This record gives sequence, C-alpha cells and structure tokens, in this order.
Amino acid sequence: MKGYAGKILRVDLSNGRSSAEEIPDGMKRDFLGGRGFAAKLLWDEVKHVDPLSEKNKIIFSTGPLTGQSLPSSGKMVIASKSPLTGGYGDGNIGTMAAVYLRKAGYDVMVAEGKSEKPCYLLIEDEKVKIMDGSELWGKNTFEAQDLLERKHGRNSGILLIGPAGENQIRFSVVMSQKGRAGGRPGLGAVMGSKNLKALVIKGTGSIPNFDDEKLKEIGKKGYEEIKGKESYDFWVRQGTMQVLDWCNENTCLPALNFREGIFEYSKQLDGYVLEKTKIDRKGCPLCNMQCGNIVNDSSNRPSELDYENVGMLGPNIGMRSLPEVALLNRMADEWGLDTISLGSTIGFLMEASEKKLIPEKIGWGDFERAQKLIIDIGKDEGLGKLVSRGVRTASETLGKGSHRWAMHVKGLEISAYNCHACPGMALSFGTSPIGGSHKDAWVISWEISTDRLSYSKEKVEKLIEFQRIRGGFFECATVCRLPWVEVSFGLHWYPEYLEAVTGSRMNWEDFYKIGDRVYNLIRAYWKREIPQFGRGWDYPPDRWFEEPLSQGKMEGVKLDRQRFDQMLSWYYELRGWDQNGIPTKATLDHLGLREASKEMIG
Amino acid sequence: MAELKFLGYLAEVVGARTKNVVLDKPTSLRKILPASFPEENVIILIDKKVGSFDSLIENGNSIIIMPVLSGG
Repeated sequence: MKGYAGKILRVDLSNGRSSAEEIPDGMKRDFLGGRGFAAKLLWDEVKHVDPLSEKNKIIFSTGPLTGQSLPSSGKMVIASKSPLTGGYGDGNIGTMAAVYLRKAGYDVMVAEGKSEKPCYLLIEDEKVKIMDGSELWGKNTFEAQDLLERKHGRNSGILLIGPAGENQIRFSVVMSQKGRAGGRPGLGAVMGSKNLKALVIKGTGSIPNFDDEKLKEIGKKGYEEIKGKESYDFWVRQGTMQVLDWCNENTCLPALNFREGIFEYSKQLDGYVLEKTKIDRKGCPLCNMQCGNIVNDSSNRPSELDYENVGMLGPNIGMRSLPEVALLNRMADEWGLDTISLGSTIGFLMEASEKKLIPEKIGWGDFERAQKLIIDIGKDEGLGKLVSRGVRTASETLGKGSHRWAMHVKGLEISAYNCHACPGMALSFGTSPIGGSHKDAWVISWEISTDRLSYSKEKVEKLIEFQRIRGGFFECATVCRLPWVEVSFGLHWYPEYLEAVTGSRMNWEDFYKIGDRVYNLIRAYWKREIPQFGRGWDYPPDRWFEEPLSQGKMEGVKLDRQRFDQMLSWYYELRGWDQNGIPTKATLDHLGLREASKEMIG
Repeated sequence: MAELKFLGYLAEVVGARTKNVVLDKPTSLRKILPASFPEENVIILIDKKVGSFDSLIENGNSIIIMPVLSGG
C-alpha cells in the first residue's frame, strides 16, 4: 500500500540490536496507523508486565497522513503500558521527529529492553546507534534539546525526557522542541526506566504516495481553506487560550481543584491578557494555525502556553497572574512533567492542606509553594512523594475520604473542564480509552449548544461519534484534529487526502469501523492487564456527584448518579459491550479481533 | 434593554465583546445582529437556555453568543 514507509524499527536497548520489519498490509488496512498500530503492537507484545520494567515497550507511531503536505500533519502518537494507570496509555505530540521518522523510512519505532547506562538513540535513515547519554542525564529538557541540536544539527527531530522522566515520576511526559509534550500517562517515566534520555531522528528520504500531484493540489487547497475561515485571525492571536473565557462563561472552568466552575480572577489569565503579553508563536510542523503562544514568564523566560496548562496551573490551584502561571508551566516543561496532572496534584495538596489533612500549609494561589512542589515532585522528595504517582495513589495513601476529590478517571488526572453541569462531558472523561482525558471526545461544546443538563441517549450517541472521529480517525491517520474542531475545516477532505496518499478510497463509515476496532482492542487490553477492570472504572470522581457548585450561573448543580449510570449503560449497549463494560465475543469477532476474542473469552 | 455578550472571534465580527440594545418590541436575534454574522458553529444562550437566530429577544434578556470550540 502506498503512502507508508512500510517498516517498524525495533531497538533492543538491552543488547543494542536493531532491526527493521515489514508492516503487513492487513495491519495497515485494519488499524490505519498511529494509535491503531500502537494498540495492536501493545496487545500482541506487552502482556502482564510491570510498566517500568525492561519488558515494557514504548512505541512511537505515525500514520499515513503524518508529515504529508496537508494541514497540521506533523503529529506522532507515543504509547506504552502506562505506569500511572496500569492500562493502555498514549498521547500525541507535534514534532519534527514525526516528520523525520517517516523520512528515515519508518512508520513506527519501538524501543524495548533497558540500557545499562544512560543513553540516547541516534537514527539516521537506516543507521541506528545507541549513544552514550551520560552528558545529558540530569539536564532539563531545554538544556538537553540545545545540547543535542549543537551536536547533531537543527535539522533533526528530537524527543526527550526531563529529570522527572529520569526519576520515573508517573506523570512525566516526552518532550520536544522546548514546550511540546506528549504521553500524559507517564510515558516519560517509561523512557526513564529504560535509561533512554532521548531520540534524535534524521531522515533524508521520501515516501512515495499514490498521487503526489493530487495531494499537493488538495493539500494546498486545505491550507487556503483554513486561512480563509472567519475565525482564523482570532485563532492565530489567542489559539486555545480563548477557551478560558468560554469556560468561565459556561461554568466549566476547573477552579480550586474542580470545586467550582468559575474563577473570580479569570480575566487576569485569559486569552486577552495573553494577546497583550505574547512575544512569539510556535507549534507543530506543517501547521498553518499553530497554537503555541509564547509569553515571558515572571522571571522573563519564554514559556509556551495553551488552555490546558493555564486552566490547570491557573484557576485550578488559585493562581491569579498569567506570568506566574507561565513560570510554573516553564518549570513543568523543563522537568518534563505533564501540566494537567501537575495542576491536579498541586490542587489536591492545597485542598488537603485546607482540610488540615496534611500538616503543611499550602494556600490556594501560593506561588512560592507551588514552585517548591514542582521541584519536590520532579525529585520525588518531601511532599512531592505523596503525589508523584498521581492523585489516585495519593488519595489511597492519605485516606480520610480524599478519594472523593482526587480528580482522576482510571488513575489519569482529569483535564481542564469542570463537569458538575455537563453530564455528557463527564461520560466522555469516564469512557476515554486512556483515563481522564478530553482529547477523544470534547462533547462539551455540543452539549452546551443543546440541552445541557439532560442525560439523553442522543448525547451518548454524539459522544461515540466524536470518539470515532477524534480518538479513532485523527489519532490513527495521525494528524491534528484542531483544524476541524477549531476553525471548522471540512471533514470531507480527509478521505480525499487518504486516497491521494494510499490509493485506497475509504469513507467515514470505514474510518468509524477502524476507530471501533481500535477502541475495542484498547478496552480488551485494559481488561487483560487489570483483571478487576470493569464498570466501576468508568465513573468520574464523587465530587461532581456529591458537592454542588456554589457559584455562578449553575449554582446548586451537580451530576445525578442514577441518570449518569443510565447513560453509561446506553454507552455499553451502543458499543456492543456487556454491562460491566467488557466487549462481547460478538463485538470482537465482528471487528475481526478474533485473537482478542479468543484470549478474553475463549 | 437586552444585554448581548460575544465570545471569541464573534466579538470581532460585531466589534465589541458586549452590546446593550433597547428594543421597542420583541425582535428576532437575527435582526439585531449584523447581516454578515456567521450562522454556523455558533452557540446561542438566552437567559441560560439554548436559543437560535430566530429567537425573539426583548428587554431584560441576557444573551451569550459563542463559537463552538475544542479546547485543545
């Protein structure tokens, strides 16, 4: 099939061997790429292992649209068995490494085993070397990026971890290009456990497409369509930061550890403040609507902001100043910590302090203590030790009812949307295939535009539709979803792009089926790896059911557990899962997942 | 007087983040907005309830008009 490099590069860090193997056509057809390839490889190869042992594998996976001359295609999915959740974990990242991996002749790179000493991988087309990483170990992600660029040139794609990944902090991430991050469920820690500090990828080749001329023509039209959108100029100025004002107006901002949905000081943190202080804009390769807004932080160093990190390190922990939030964000990026989980863990500690469950005094918005906590978490020291495995484990350690406001699903901290008054979005968090993530189905906007407080079957159907498009198609084709969702770029382009790339005409029904296959395999993976996994894992935290909002237009509103339960049952029915949330034999067989069916059910 | 609040790029379209209008009689929202106002991917809330461009607006109403977003 055209449009693929057609190879998986494997590097065994234990013995230094590398090999390239063919990707079967059936795997391309059934799983498309990106998340699909990663889920298939993890299912086949990573079974019942400790996520931080050498038996785990970390997968860097692209899709057929990655690196192509079409809108926002510079993406890669990083996946592994998660040390934070114990289940399937992945995240996408926009990076030149995605583009260069394909140019080097690979769709996927799998790192397995464990190096005896700190190392990094140098991939230059077919040449693969394991390099001494002792000079890099201990360096933050900005310093290490500079060092590797000096050594190997700027025309290389670099993925790396910070000291938090080296210290195997369970919500450390993989970073790139000083501010790009991916792999929220602790994939930085997986690299750290392998003594793998970085990947440096250089590629000089090209992948033949089915019809390059056509792709060039329709790719150009796509870029032009995006630029012509009425919302484009505003997007370029504020990017995702416009969401802060939007969420505050709609009472779905995370404030004070998701206790409230509005924040009194939100106007000091929003997109309009960003516009005034912005010094630069950057983002992923091949994108003409880059969303990385750079501001100077309170110590005058550049920091790349977007809504999620400002939402979680701002209102969620009571911070009132954007430059100070930017400094916390910069620290998180240097240490290689996920900003969403970091904001949640700091919020957890602030609430624990307020409730006098810990002796330390950490007030909401305490900037000095927040900085100290980031260092403690990155080093796994002091109070940082309590939360460095995430809020689920922290609440198990602390007890005293703290699990009710430990804001996670399946062990992954919830991203920046308060769902007291958004049952559909709460279900989206509940059923996301990696835990409390918004990226698969941001149904909240649709929900607010319809009957916000309803618990309808229609809402569940819409959620699944979004999961199929966002978590299925975009993650597998491995291009960014933001052109579609943020400036209404037409979905009709994507079958055309894939046809020009692969020569195969597919429609959205085909993409939905691939998405369903991937979702079911991931679901089966959770069940195989965690035998007690089931329905109970799909609920958001008690706080949203038990403590109504006390401020704003939705004052007094909380989720209704019984009606949420009904929506969850509908979700399982529509997915073809049993009422414990496990795919049935018929569903797995229908999707061609016979091996999973055999292993799960017999 | 009816209060209209515009979020995101829609504030640019009307040239203001908020607008107050005094109405003699109930008037459809469409008539209050500029002719060039986008009608797709827009959320309209009138006194916290979902509305449309055909909804009749009267003095005392609080209207929020916002784009459909994704949130990163």
